[in-house]
Amino acid sequence: MIQIDVVMSRLFTEGASDLQVKLELQSGSLTALVGPSGSGKTTVLRLLAGLEIPRQGRIVVGESVWLDTYRRINRSPQQRSIGYVFQDTALFPNMTVRENIQYAAPKDQQTLVDELIEATGLESFVNQKPIRLSGGQRQRVALARALVRRPQLLLLDEPFAALDAKASQMLRQVLLELHQRWGTTTLLVSHHEIDVQALADRVIQLVQGRVESDERIGSTNSYLTGSERIIRIEYDENQQHWLIETASMKLQSTNPDWEQWNVGDLIQVAPGNHSGTAKIK
Amino acid sequence: MPIDWDPIWLTLRLAGITTLLLLLIGVPLAGWLALSRFRLKPIVEAIISLPLVLPPSVVGFYLLLTFSPTSWLGAWLLRTINLQLVFSFEGLVVASLIYSLPFMVHPVQAGVENLPTSWREASYTLGQSPTKTLWRVLLPNCKPALLTGIVLTFAHTIGEFGLVLMIGGNLPGQTRVASIAIYDEVELLHFETAHAYAVLLLGLSFAILLLVYAINKRVTV
Repeated sequence: MIQIDVVMSRLFTEGASDLQVKLELQSGSLTALVGPSGSGKTTVLRLLAGLEIPRQGRIVVGESVWLDTYRRINRSPQQRSIGYVFQDTALFPNMTVRENIQYAAPKDQQTLVDELIEATGLESFVNQKPIRLSGGQRQRVALARALVRRPQLLLLDEPFAALDAKASQMLRQVLLELHQRWGTTTLLVSHHEIDVQALADRVIQLVQGRVESDERIGSTNSYLTGSERIIRIEYDENQQHWLIETASMKLQSTNPDWEQWNVGDLIQVAPGNHSGTAKIK
Repeated sequence: MPIDWDPIWLTLRLAGITTLLLLLIGVPLAGWLALSRFRLKPIVEAIISLPLVLPPSVVGFYLLLTFSPTSWLGAWLLRTINLQLVFSFEGLVVASLIYSLPFMVHPVQAGVENLPTSWREASYTLGQSPTKTLWRVLLPNCKPALLTGIVLTFAHTIGEFGLVLMIGGNLPGQTRVASIAIYDEVELLHFETAHAYAVLLLGLSFAILLLVYAINKRVTV
């Protein structure tokens, strides 16, 4: 459980005001923070990361107090267990893809570096400098780098903002797979409804630094109703059928209607049909 | 009249040693100034920049008083490590370090400050210290600024006159650098020799600047 209760003076589009956010994030959840530009979404991420200091407040992660202005506790960004994917990726241009990911990896975690490179589909680019990569590839490197210390909290600031539809879909797929595999508590700032719908199990809307709405939509409930999100979808040319993979099952069908599904879509699977002719509602 | 090469070698030695030492002192200092939120930072910055606005003779005069064997510091240095900084090559090095410090610190500080803030923040969120961030991420990405600092320091030390004269005097082989030699030769009306030294300095300075601009164009991260 992550508890945030912060107050910070800030300049909004409609003038100076207080950003006042009180939230609780369930461990392993993927929460989307949405809202108009300048509503304070990125500031919330920066406060969690320790890159901004609020006027007053508390941030507690599990048993550990990261910030308590009343008790004068303020852990530095280095002391907080976070992974932060910046909007501009902030990859280090002097390092290759592998070096970027390895930069923060503990010495005994080289296997994890290889695992992340594989999970993010970066095997062919490990020796390339970031300048030679596409926007989507850079975001995947930034994601792998952010996860290499196995953080308690993953913060994603508009990771899809500069990506085309194909690159976005691939990043969504990677993000979902890693989230399903490791269950890192994640806070995602995004403007794109499709990404939010595909990834988040909870959507919080921020307006002028205040929580306007808080809606639980996704997988936390979906496990109870037998629904799951698609983490991989592909058409097998040889076998002439579609393959859909969720966190707990693999499905296949020759039904051409399956073409409509995308990674991140929530599907309901009839019990028992873990392969073959699963019916998707 | 044959040219005495000693002042040229002495000048190059002084410029080389000063540049090397300022790389070791000035670069970490520039990094600290760029990253620090220390409240008294403006005072430190003002002290570092003083040689830019003060006449060299003023800096030289106070260094002469400070390092003189009759001063507390000068006497202590002479007594404990047998080091005399007035009218010696070592004194020229120390004076050049102080006088050329802003020429190393300012470009490097500006270079680090101009890099995207997200690079250092990314490094911090990855658990890395400001020192590691400076050496592994920031400095490797501001090579042109480093190169500018190195060249400005080297070239500025080559051209020092007033300060060198005040603290070092004109001792052949010890403190008689090229700029002093030119002044000396002009005073003796040896215009040909003065001209030879001047052309050598002019050519050297031009070659260094040309090299920098050529390298700077090719430096990529």
